[in-house]
Amino acid sequence: MKILRQTKYKPARVLGGYTDRILRVDLGKQEITIQELPPDFKNKYVGGRGYALKLIWDGTTRETHYDSPENILVMSSGPLGNEPAFPGTGKFIVGTISPLTDTFIDSNIGGHFGPILKRAGFDALAVSGISKKDVVILVDGDAQTISIAEAPAYDKEIDDGALSFGERLLKDVNNGELSDSLAAVTAGKGACNARFGIVNSLFFDVRRKRIRSKQAGRGGTGTVMRYKRLRGVVARSSLSVVNGNNAIDKEGVRQAGSKLKAVVSKCDTQQLNLSAWGTTGLSEYMDKFHLFPINNYQYGQSPESPRLFAQVFLDKYFSKKIPDGCYYGCNLACAKGSENVELTRGPKAGKVVNIDGPEYETVGAVSCMGIFDPQFVMEYNWYCDEYGIDTISTGVTISFFMECFQRGFLNADDVGYELTFGNTEAVDRLLHEIADGRGFGKVVGQGIARGKKWVAQKHASRNGTSGDAVMAELNKFGMEVKGLEFSMYITKESLAQQGGYGFALKGPQHDEAWLIFIDQVHKELPTLEDKANALKWFPLIRTWFNATGLCKLPWIDVRNPEAASTAEPSKNLPTLAYYLAYLNATTGSNKTLQDVLDDSERLYVLQKLINLRHGKGTRASDQIPWRAIGPAYFNEYEARAEYYDEWLKQQLGDNKIPASPEQRHELLMKKRVEAYQHLCDIVYEKKGFTSEGIPKHETVEKFGLMDEQAKQMLSQLDVNK
Amino acid sequence: MIASIKFLGMQRVLTNTDSIDMPINGNTMVSDALQYVRRQYPTLPLEERMILITVNHEAASPDRILKDKDTISFLPLIAGG
Repeated sequence: MKILRQTKYKPARVLGGYTDRILRVDLGKQEITIQELPPDFKNKYVGGRGYALKLIWDGTTRETHYDSPENILVMSSGPLGNEPAFPGTGKFIVGTISPLTDTFIDSNIGGHFGPILKRAGFDALAVSGISKKDVVILVDGDAQTISIAEAPAYDKEIDDGALSFGERLLKDVNNGELSDSLAAVTAGKGACNARFGIVNSLFFDVRRKRIRSKQAGRGGTGTVMRYKRLRGVVARSSLSVVNGNNAIDKEGVRQAGSKLKAVVSKCDTQQLNLSAWGTTGLSEYMDKFHLFPINNYQYGQSPESPRLFAQVFLDKYFSKKIPDGCYYGCNLACAKGSENVELTRGPKAGKVVNIDGPEYETVGAVSCMGIFDPQFVMEYNWYCDEYGIDTISTGVTISFFMECFQRGFLNADDVGYELTFGNTEAVDRLLHEIADGRGFGKVVGQGIARGKKWVAQKHASRNGTSGDAVMAELNKFGMEVKGLEFSMYITKESLAQQGGYGFALKGPQHDEAWLIFIDQVHKELPTLEDKANALKWFPLIRTWFNATGLCKLPWIDVRNPEAASTAEPSKNLPTLAYYLAYLNATTGSNKTLQDVLDDSERLYVLQKLINLRHGKGTRASDQIPWRAIGPAYFNEYEARAEYYDEWLKQQLGDNKIPASPEQRHELLMKKRVEAYQHLCDIVYEKKGFTSEGIPKHETVEKFGLMDEQAKQMLSQLDVNK
Repeated sequence: MIASIKFLGMQRVLTNTDSIDMPINGNTMVSDALQYVRRQYPTLPLEERMILITVNHEAASPDRILKDKDTISFLPLIAGG
């Protein structure tokens, strides 16, 4: 491998979860810099998402786009992201300005890269500039070198694949051997051709004795990586994984971890059984409650859904019927995988591959296209990972174009073939076209927000109609907000989750708030006030997980039995107490839950400021498609007419229900839209925002974020003291 | 009168059935259905603090009186990853 630039360094020792150093690499100038952080940096910005936000806020401007040289690709774990004594600590964040949303995006990702980067001496890696040639970055804590090297060329088949290239690269830098002292991040050729490119995190699994992968799937972080001509980053450290954070109070960490492990061990098998089924177990529950997306979220349930339930994947594919973690010490261990699956479709048909997944989201992305073939799910999963494209955005964008086809906005001449729901052959063809950037795949690879404009223009010019009128129709079922495609839950019957997606700062991804069950099934949020409180609390606590390097699942998806006797069981506060103990023992702090929420709120407001700077921060950007609010079209209403009529009766009383089904449908949608607007008003007030969704002066000041940039921006938006 | 108890996920695998019917009278409560299932399937984990009881797809308390053709499920407490 040809080294273009190399720097010797002395790795900083981790203490209390931090190294207090960021590795900065400018690929345009081929500069490698180690940034020493002042003590108040970690106190204010915590780590992970917080570090990414601060670097982006300071280092970019409103003119910065995903392909601007000054855009920064940040990878950062957090103070708690490196501890086998506590479950779920291998997470790190990839944050940048997104090619889909044109504002800040981050996506969390498992595997060993974040922890190894920290052991190699860095809390974060920040990559700016655009290289003149394809390169890789090597952070070698053992050799104490940081290098920018010319990306090796193996052969086309390997070089095009994020998984294939990453595995070969990991061997290449370690004398042909795979080792758990190394981990890599890579992006594939699909990330060059689609806006929803992903970053793969590759690590050596000593139990399966093979390279495994996890994905930062949302928002196009891989597209940014490839635009910078960065093919991969390898981190190496042979330092022990035990006590990886070098906690201030090691016994405190051990005790907190033991308590959480005991709850996970006792309860998971009685609840979601994630350790055996992974997240595929959710499909069945989502289908039962009409939340499983079918045909672009038109329906939430199908008689064919059982073909995609967890037991199918467990029986046919998951090769190890054991807990299977993405980082050491996690006994929830939900990262399922399969060995020796033969591909039957696409350019690699006949090849036998290892597949990591599927997760629930990938299963839902396939059902969203009206396909219920588990073999196709496996192959779709593998191809998306290998190409380096997001299974969610790929599936949801294809689903949108399928509905355009269904409703006559597109025809076979536009696409090149019949793009109908359930048409596996068409999806298979389109998937490879997206990755290659050819044919109709070039259009689909732009995502829904840009796809809507393309369809509107095409349909309007063909029919001589107004582009605005067509766009108004497409906005009903184009499942995106802020430019990001929805993740795989139907929100029609949960006002709280409509807000969970609409207010989510990155766009409609459920990692900010997932309130469907406590709202729709538990009925724990009966009033707008209750929903608004949840829409403030859950995004803040979830932000904290993304800032500290933690997986949320051991907290949110394994209910501690002691929570049943608390006032708000869904917050699972008894388990959160273990997390607080873990935080304080690691960093030597003495924080309360309120302190943690305040820390998160600072990051939340900072992200909101970035959104405002990039034109995605006001009330207009929080509006969601009709399809997310209710049955956008009459066929959806008809499919559950009895249920919807009952809903109307509860709202209006028996006497005020219109006679005709068409009128009832129209009235229902009117009521749903009104309810969402009321929710906006109340939530903004709770969050300290104006009625336009802009943080008030005092809110920004309260969190110490009123710098010159914020002051000027608020002044331009007429938000004054 | 009959109520139907639906098994999903791991419960379906452990019981090897999608549902069972339970005869009810005008005084049968949700808690009786829980006891009925426990008697039929003693190894099925059904600790009350770890499950969400639903009747006809909505959360229900153990003292709710069951009606003819009600559908009961004992679900995990799903909170979203």
